[in-house]
Amino acid sequence: MVAFVRHRRSRAIALSAAAVGVAAAVAGCSIALPDRTAAAPIGAAAPRGPITVWSWNVAAKALQALTPGFEQRDPAVRVTVDMTGARMSTRFMLSLMAGVGAPDVSQLLMTDAPHYIATHRLMDLTPVAAKYEPMFPPAQWRSCMLDGRVYAIPWDTGPCAVFYRRDLFARYGVDPARIETWDDYIRAGQTIVSRSGGRTRMLPLGVNDLESMLEILLQQTHGQIFDNQGRIALDSPQARQALDVIRRLRSAGIRSDVAAYGPEWMAGFSGDSIASYPGAVWLAGTIKDTVPEVAGEKAVWGVFRLPAITPGGVRVANSGGSVLVIPEACPNPDAAWAFVQYALCTTQGQLDQYRSSSLYPSFLPALRSSVMDQPDPFFANQPVGRLFATDITKIWRLNRTSDWGEATTYIQEGLSHWASCGMPVGEDVLGEMSRKLSERLDIPVAPSSDRVPVALAAPSTRIRTVLE
Amino acid sequence: MSSEPLGSAAPPFAAGSRSPRQVATPSRAASAALRDWLRSVWPYRHFYLFIAPFFLFFAVFGLYPLLFSLYLSFVKWDGLTPMHWVGLSNFRMMLRDEVLARALWNTLVIGLLYVPPMMILALLFAQLLNAQWLKLKAFYRAALFLPCVTPMVVIAIVFGLIFGADRGVLNDLLIAMHLRAVPWLTSEEWSKVSVAILVVWRWTGYNMILLLAGLQGIPADYYEAAEVDGAGPTQRMWFITLPLLRPTFRFCMLLSLLGTLYMFDEIFVLTGGGGPGTSSLNFGMYLFSLSFDDFKFGYASCVAYTIAILVFVGTLIVNRLNRAEQVEG
Repeated sequence: MVAFVRHRRSRAIALSAAAVGVAAAVAGCSIALPDRTAAAPIGAAAPRGPITVWSWNVAAKALQALTPGFEQRDPAVRVTVDMTGARMSTRFMLSLMAGVGAPDVSQLLMTDAPHYIATHRLMDLTPVAAKYEPMFPPAQWRSCMLDGRVYAIPWDTGPCAVFYRRDLFARYGVDPARIETWDDYIRAGQTIVSRSGGRTRMLPLGVNDLESMLEILLQQTHGQIFDNQGRIALDSPQARQALDVIRRLRSAGIRSDVAAYGPEWMAGFSGDSIASYPGAVWLAGTIKDTVPEVAGEKAVWGVFRLPAITPGGVRVANSGGSVLVIPEACPNPDAAWAFVQYALCTTQGQLDQYRSSSLYPSFLPALRSSVMDQPDPFFANQPVGRLFATDITKIWRLNRTSDWGEATTYIQEGLSHWASCGMPVGEDVLGEMSRKLSERLDIPVAPSSDRVPVALAAPSTRIRTVLE
Repeated sequence: MSSEPLGSAAPPFAAGSRSPRQVATPSRAASAALRDWLRSVWPYRHFYLFIAPFFLFFAVFGLYPLLFSLYLSFVKWDGLTPMHWVGLSNFRMMLRDEVLARALWNTLVIGLLYVPPMMILALLFAQLLNAQWLKLKAFYRAALFLPCVTPMVVIAIVFGLIFGADRGVLNDLLIAMHLRAVPWLTSEEWSKVSVAILVVWRWTGYNMILLLAGLQGIPADYYEAAEVDGAGPTQRMWFITLPLLRPTFRFCMLLSLLGTLYMFDEIFVLTGGGGPGTSSLNFGMYLFSLSFDDFKFGYASCVAYTIAILVFVGTLIVNRLNRAEQVEG
């Protein structure tokens, strides 16, 4: 009996040892990091060979459109643009984790870039890209850097304005040229709502889309979510001012409570339910894709500059935008960089994308082009390119840390909770949100004296030279 | 009479004699134990070979993720940077995680909102489809089952239009009836109701099929005997159908419990992943967001493990109840 027990015990020990051994071996395999030294240093050889690029919808089409021009310049490189489906950034992250399956070049949202850069799995582009710094808006370039090194190149940028329906504004007797502040905008909206009998609302502003509006307004009030040291700086007078604009926009009876990119939101493009869409320049591509092109005098769409918080205030902000990155394990970095350089650091590459897909260049020399002054028939021959370029280098830089994505998710949750509860006056929304953010992200809240941002720096001489 | 097992030849790794000193060290003791074990299984190696594929697959795709996930529960890891051992800190964080508490509460409320109407409707439809007099049964069965195979993209568009705040079909109907419009997807109170309505629409047909199978498993003799004894339709339903359908109901409830915990599509497409605020965020959606939006794999594993254990215990209780029922029966 004792022998039997001993035998069983030894068998159990052996089985456990084997199971743990197998698990450890498999675990060891799967979490092994890719060999970083295997990748050749960038710029070491002439670009050649095939590369794969991951991108999504309009942006992918823009890259496909410029590929023939690139392959003419670098005939030894063959580019495949993969229009990958939903949640590309998640799959990109999983590919980086697995060490296999990542593309040679990938698109990322500008707001996601700091998170990916912080993982140190993206190629350090400093040796080949540093020289391009003065040619991009500082706000965008900063989001591509970590510890003074460059890991991504800004692609398109998202200067904001208000897209409006000329026919509806004319029908209800509202002159967009007279809208200079958000108060003017609200008054114009009330006129439209009242004269249309409530049929037409001024703007879509659903409870689940308030964070993007807050981000736009924070740039106008010079607020921040994180301070320069990465601490939470949301509870500030600037943010309260921005939140107050949201409160007024939502409580003035002018908004349509529809979800962005939902069926009702899209239906507003061609119906008469929504008169204007505050948003970034890339929205033009979506509108043009959705509604039939009506050019010239019969065009129904127009654009006016973003209303300021106060008369004479800032009328520019950025929303969205993307970057291109090269994974550190990319086997063909020279060809990958050649493609990124052509697409993003040449006037021709950027203008090709602007013409084909309304992707607005981050590359400042491209903004000097006469293409930007061309009238756009879709917008009744308005030179919208120049309108969006106005004050682009003055866009307030939000400190996008690697926690940005997670923080904005929580802020959106907090804002939609606040809005759906009727935006109670006197509630310390931002203080409460800061406390929760601090708890969730394990980051301290900045002392209130440190939350007041420094005055907006004027664009550097080098940037001004590029623009002039 | 005894038969020699297949391949009873002496194993090639047969060990020599061991001295007591050799056994004394743990590594030698383990290697001796392994040798003993190999010697004992060697005669049956062919049988082990036959069953090996299953165990290999299970080890790689079942056991390994299970063990690795358990390990992850004790580390902080974003998938790319090195892991940091944090001990029980993830579990401590979980205890004061307000969003997790809200997600579990939402899961419970959504479950309570949709399970009763869904089961009642499913039973009603199953009864109708089980009736002798009904024509075109295959058509109705397919029509009722169709929602659960309809692509979510289509459902998202259609239900977006139905629940729309300004021009939604439901609100138009309410206004036509001189009632107030309801902020279906834009208020914290109504978002769960909207999700529940979608779930009822989508999964009633599925549960109906299960209940129909249960109904068809009840012998007709019972009903005939009851009829002879003078039982009316209500009594037959109350004393025959419902008691005999109880195991099927329990199975449906178990599926619903798991379905509510890990519900994803409905919430993702209808309320943008749990909004407004976190009013329709359920456990599955929260887990997804922790893992694939925030890349907190350590904490997500910790939460998943804890809830999986709770679900496992719940399932055991339901099974035990079922078994007790069968024994009584």
